[in-house]
Amino acid sequence: MNVAVCVKQIPDPAAPPALDPGTKNLVRDGKLILDDSDAYGVEMALQLAEAAGGGEVTLVSMAPNGETSGLRTALAMGAAKAILVSDPALAGCDALGTAKVLAAALKRAEPDLILAATESSDGYTGTTPVQVAELMGLPSVTFAKKVSTEGGTVKVERQTEAGYDEVVSPLPAVVTVTAGVVEPRYPSFKGIMAAKSKPVETLTVADLGLDAASVGSAGARQEITNVAEAEARAAGEIVVDEGEGHLKVIEFLEQLKVI
Amino acid sequence: MDFAASEELTMLRQSVAAIASRFGHEYYVERARADERTDELWNAVAEGGFLGVNVPEEYGGGGGGITELAAVAEELAAAGCPLLVIVVSPAICATIIARYGTDAQKQRWLPRFATGELKMAFAITEPDAGSNSHNLSLTATKDGDVYRLNGSKYYISGVDECEAIMVVTRTGIDPETGRGRLSLFVVDVDSPGLEKQVLPVEITAPEKQFTLFFDNVEVPADRLVGDEGEGLRQVFLGLNPERILSAAMANGISRYALDKASEYARTREVWGTAIGRHQGLAHPLAKAKIDLELARLMTEKAAWLCDHDGDNPEAGEASNMAKFAAADAAGVALDQAIQTHGGNGMSSEYGLADLWGMTRLLRIAPVSREMILNYVAQHSLRLPRSY
Repeated sequence: MNVAVCVKQIPDPAAPPALDPGTKNLVRDGKLILDDSDAYGVEMALQLAEAAGGGEVTLVSMAPNGETSGLRTALAMGAAKAILVSDPALAGCDALGTAKVLAAALKRAEPDLILAATESSDGYTGTTPVQVAELMGLPSVTFAKKVSTEGGTVKVERQTEAGYDEVVSPLPAVVTVTAGVVEPRYPSFKGIMAAKSKPVETLTVADLGLDAASVGSAGARQEITNVAEAEARAAGEIVVDEGEGHLKVIEFLEQLKVI
Repeated sequence: MDFAASEELTMLRQSVAAIASRFGHEYYVERARADERTDELWNAVAEGGFLGVNVPEEYGGGGGGITELAAVAEELAAAGCPLLVIVVSPAICATIIARYGTDAQKQRWLPRFATGELKMAFAITEPDAGSNSHNLSLTATKDGDVYRLNGSKYYISGVDECEAIMVVTRTGIDPETGRGRLSLFVVDVDSPGLEKQVLPVEITAPEKQFTLFFDNVEVPADRLVGDEGEGLRQVFLGLNPERILSAAMANGISRYALDKASEYARTREVWGTAIGRHQGLAHPLAKAKIDLELARLMTEKAAWLCDHDGDNPEAGEASNMAKFAAADAAGVALDQAIQTHGGNGMSSEYGLADLWGMTRLLRIAPVSREMILNYVAQHSLRLPRSY
């Protein structure tokens, strides 16, 4: 079974982020790394391909400046190859523009299953995977906490507020996975060395047969008009424990309706 | 010239750091204090192939070099887990066997060095022959098909964790110079006649130190590594990696100490201001950071030289300088990290003071700072030999 994984390469979250003062977009010109939330999708894909008795894991990514650092990490984990779409015309893409690009690239991979994270750790729109599914005319199942395939179907335990739904969908399909779905492996030394020689196909907007006016800032239907500092967290309430502290904790949790 | 770390080395560091962070310094100290081994950590790092990075690919290793192995050791130490066995087993023993072992010996040992399954201790130091290896008195005498070893060794690291020991022995005397002719043997730790005594030291580390007594220990002739009488020359090939790995470990300790110190100095407030704002604390930490980065540069250069031509005398010079610089830098970094923490620096909770023994050791072993200064004076500056 061939699995494609949408992976995003993002600025290192450990470094201070910067916004472009003009577009108010996140500056993504420097070295990028594999989004942590995508490591789960990559691991899930590797496990599913293995469980199915073979098949390849293909990475699909869109990034500026032909950036492959984050892809190499996922290739080192065991993915077989990658498709990278990199084109100056893609600067300023909104979520839908990104979805158009990923959908066009994913078609070339002809996967049986497409995995993605529920959302990226830098943009957080959480909309791209379902847009990809819609553009490709595929079913989508979101918030998977457990995924397995059997015959031509994928079976998903879908996280909900109350518990989980069991969803079965025909393949091919788009499934978004949560951070708890699997424990991502660390790239082994052999994996790291092998990643160097794995193929990364770099494509432009024209290669994908997309109209440049439909993507990037030219095609964006979303504009960031303002950015404001997040409100500082409230100071909270300090309870001095005089033997009844636990009751206060219970009361607080009840207010939150978590117990 | 290119100072950019390769993508591969960066990923190696990330993987090892991620594995080690699952364990951390608390785990390391807990095991050390309980006289227990850190097998889970060793196995987790080994599983990724990181303890065999320098073993040739044809024997299942990573096909890398001391550069990669030093990065592994540095990342482990930076996570608070400086593992001594890496310095001896893959760095010294695997290097020597890969170069001087027979085909059969390589087949026998290298695949298990590659997986990290085989740990081999290294025994050179003797009570009456510290830095002067020519003076070794442990003898190996040929007796038919076997050799018989007699004598003693001390300060041998991690013997309880290892299944074999590479022992430097004297197999003869050079009639012209009167110096010992040395030979290397791989001896099983459970050989009859080999007595192992723990040598108590003030170092909080899971690996213990040992005194070894060899009483007519019988060793098959196929355990002789390399040519009889050529042991000293062969050992030198392993001693540069030993120095580089010690330097890498010291650099990792410096990183660990400075990470903790700077975090504390940023967040600890006294009289309404972070203590790191005071130059009395900031400048010594900045100086320690500079010394660390200088030591890391020399360590990387030494590893590069070693990987490109281990016999090049420049590799020896750079390895010595790296060990000297890194060990001194770590001593200062750790001390300043403790000072930055005030009283907390001595508390067990903050995980700094327990590293003092190991850090102090690195200024003495595997070669003392004084012997390195002698070496540099004599070989780099061509000053008269002082001893």
